[in-house]
Amino acid sequence: MNTQLNINGRRSLFSPTFVTLLIGVVMVLVLGGSSVQAQTTTTTTDPAAPVDSSITIAASGSVSDPNGSVTVTGNAIVSARTVIDNTSTTILKIVMVDFDFSQLKGTSGSSKTNLRTYVTGDNLVSEIRPLQDSDTLILSVPYYDSAKGPLTSRTMLATATLKFDVSTGKLVSGSITVGNNVVTSTAVGTTAPVAIQ
Amino acid sequence: MPDRNFFLSPKASKARLREAEQARKERWDILKAQSQGQVSRRDLIKMGLFTSAGLMIPISGLSPFGRSAFASSNIPTGLPPSPLGTATPFSQAMPRFDLFPRIPVAALTPAPTAQANTTQQPVDPALGGGTGPIEGRPPGPIWAHQQFGLLPPAIAIDASVEGAKVNTTYNPGVPSAQNSGINPATPIPPRFHPNLPDQNVDKFWTYNGSIPPKLMQVRYGEPVLFRLHNKLSVFQNQNGGFGIHTISTHEHNGHHGAENDGFTGAYFFPNQFYDYHYPIVLAGRNSINTTATDSRASGPTDAGGLMKVPGDWHETMSTHWFHDHMFSFTAQNVYKGIAGMFNIYSGLDRGAEDIVDGVNLRLPSGRASVSGKSWGNLDYDVNLMLADKAWDANGQMAMDIFEFDGFLGDVMTVNLAFKPFMHVERRKYRFRILNGSVSRFFKLSLSDGSPMIQIANDGNLLPHPVVLTQLDEQGIAERYDIVIDFSRYSVGQTVWMVNLAEHQDGRRVSKDLSLSEALSGNSQDPCVGKFLEFRIVRDPAQPDISQVPDTLIPNPDLSNIPVARERVFEFNSGANQTTNDPITSFFGPWGIKTDNQGPTLAADFGRISAAPKFGTREVWTLRNGGGGWDHPIHIHFEECQTLSRDGSASKVPAWERGRKDVWRLRPSGEVKITLQFRDWGGMFMEHCHNTMHEDNAMLLRWEINGAGAPFLNPLPTPIPKPQGVTFMAPDDILPTAF
Repeated sequence: MNTQLNINGRRSLFSPTFVTLLIGVVMVLVLGGSSVQAQTTTTTTDPAAPVDSSITIAASGSVSDPNGSVTVTGNAIVSARTVIDNTSTTILKIVMVDFDFSQLKGTSGSSKTNLRTYVTGDNLVSEIRPLQDSDTLILSVPYYDSAKGPLTSRTMLATATLKFDVSTGKLVSGSITVGNNVVTSTAVGTTAPVAIQ
Repeated sequence: MPDRNFFLSPKASKARLREAEQARKERWDILKAQSQGQVSRRDLIKMGLFTSAGLMIPISGLSPFGRSAFASSNIPTGLPPSPLGTATPFSQAMPRFDLFPRIPVAALTPAPTAQANTTQQPVDPALGGGTGPIEGRPPGPIWAHQQFGLLPPAIAIDASVEGAKVNTTYNPGVPSAQNSGINPATPIPPRFHPNLPDQNVDKFWTYNGSIPPKLMQVRYGEPVLFRLHNKLSVFQNQNGGFGIHTISTHEHNGHHGAENDGFTGAYFFPNQFYDYHYPIVLAGRNSINTTATDSRASGPTDAGGLMKVPGDWHETMSTHWFHDHMFSFTAQNVYKGIAGMFNIYSGLDRGAEDIVDGVNLRLPSGRASVSGKSWGNLDYDVNLMLADKAWDANGQMAMDIFEFDGFLGDVMTVNLAFKPFMHVERRKYRFRILNGSVSRFFKLSLSDGSPMIQIANDGNLLPHPVVLTQLDEQGIAERYDIVIDFSRYSVGQTVWMVNLAEHQDGRRVSKDLSLSEALSGNSQDPCVGKFLEFRIVRDPAQPDISQVPDTLIPNPDLSNIPVARERVFEFNSGANQTTNDPITSFFGPWGIKTDNQGPTLAADFGRISAAPKFGTREVWTLRNGGGGWDHPIHIHFEECQTLSRDGSASKVPAWERGRKDVWRLRPSGEVKITLQFRDWGGMFMEHCHNTMHEDNAMLLRWEINGAGAPFLNPLPTPIPKPQGVTFMAPDDILPTAF
């Protein structure tokens, strides 16, 4: 008899209590609930083809660093993939944007004694955004003295303004400026010190 | 843009909040009936509540996305926000994980056996009565512990899954000062915050029935016997309305024999136990460094030395987790709390930053010379389990399985504590971050945008550390190990961990926010923004001597291993079910198409979709067939290398250039990976780790072909029953499987 046990709860017959309850719920929903009509969701296995595009943007700016002002230049490669959600008409197209900042370089100082160079390492920033004509993204990007290594990293902000052709889903142009991490001053709070007991 | 958020704002009108609460109650009755076996999903389809594809009809009141009667246009009903009462963010300390006691194997009664212990015991009448085996592991040689004589367990962990209770034995493994001042002797009730109610025994199921979540500390060269007792109620309806009392634990992502993998169809019943044998070995142990001469292939000894082990040191793993994997109930059971973490220590990743021997990478952890522990120091090595939860008007955990795109909670927890704080010192810490959610992705940053160093992905130390100011999105089950250097702050400062990933539903992240956007408080997603407060409370007592070397663990060299086979797995909606076994098959909107042949198929653990040959390497393509979703795809058994994303090797980011076991495919994306099939035999799984997708029914079985005796070809499917596991022939074998 035990072999008929309904382990996953899929085969049991309805209990009278539950049938009553369920009928009640359905009746309330259909007759006594709101007048909103049921919607159907269409699913399909055919994905809408994604649209890929990529541009190279010359980025520039300066960052105030304890070692002096760092001048940042170089190309950022921005890749975009626009995706259409083929299962819903209410969800907007999305675009996945990848920022490759690895070619950005910074310098501070000018003489042989104080010239420093800065890199961003293997940094890559990936963002999902709703597709729109113009989108401004403010991204934090690490940089560090190439002679000292990533453990000495600090943060700069890259402000990217991207233009999309919403009819094709393609990224068409953009600009990127680099500046100080202004988030810092507002995002650190205070607490009381605690000594080891 | 339509207001399509999963949860209503607490500022919504009273009418809408009442409507949402009423709708949830109505769904709750149906959910409870389904989870308690009173009605099947097939019955719900007949009643017109689900489509044949398994989607719930968005009738107002039944779906959180059904139109609200009190709003214009397409605004959905939404879910009512979880009441927080007087609980406020960052007002409780974050508990460190609770260590499982490591006990002698001889302390286990009965002693563990290679084959399942089929000693008979009475079976409760609620489970059918009669008698059945005390161990729920499938009997016989195929499910016997492989290499049990060669790798006998050296230690044991005796644990249970049971309902919520007070924890009176909390052991965080660190002094109170390293645990934000928490006194471990103070009993810990099963609640998310001191000002929230205790969870009922049927709502909250965890390992040992208590919080904080549990941590297993293991090391290479020391096989572990994990005995897990099922202490849940024999009554299926004592589940608080969701979850099921049959369980199976997956050690994610152990390189073990299949009998220890937590196969979804190898579940066991209340009053039974299951012995999992975790040999803790390096992959390639039968073909690489077989005489154990390379000191980098090693585990730590108690004396501070190394015990060399066979295998490829490039396959060393560090951060795992373990969780329930019950067929078609993983989401519910894991959401109820059946999840823990699993740290593996090695010669390379010792957990003792002051041991200098040319092998130890000396990552942040703690000093052996201070603690007296030569491995596994946790002072500065912190496990974080992130999970979104929700509760009802009474403060009891609530879940809604009717949104098959994915279930979202509206309350952020860390280590099952609502938005806690953590005391830290001015030095480097390692954080092992697990996304333990059902469907939510995270994207983490520090509130001031300061750099973090990612050192591992899915428990595998990267070839090189990567500096990031915001981590990549982190899918469900992905583990990111990072190092944060708090020495850049002053004593008395605070900084927060912030979630930048905004969801509107469980399909995927709807938008990645900038840091300032996430901190603004304007997001309609309650889980965006600050969720963990770091309080920099003092300087360290000793100087920070931990390191983050430029080279961690290079990838295994596969150049001399030919690719035996390529396979393609496409993850789609609109699945078909071609079998109808009531135990092994399930159906839902989700499924997997294999090798571009036939329909997209819903899960059946009696179906063999792939059978790679033992001792070979293959290349698998994981393709997202739907435009609007993301799927974090997990492959069991062995870590893989990522060859390309969307057809390009250069699109694999630096933090994915090590080994992995979960890949976010990204919308319309494709990932190509390579993996080997060696050392062990049996049946394993591949599935979406958005566990709502997994359960409904984006999961397949694959098995290793030709692993030798006692394995059959093909393997029979276990059919668990309280009175004993029986076997049946596979009910389907795909034409390209073998």
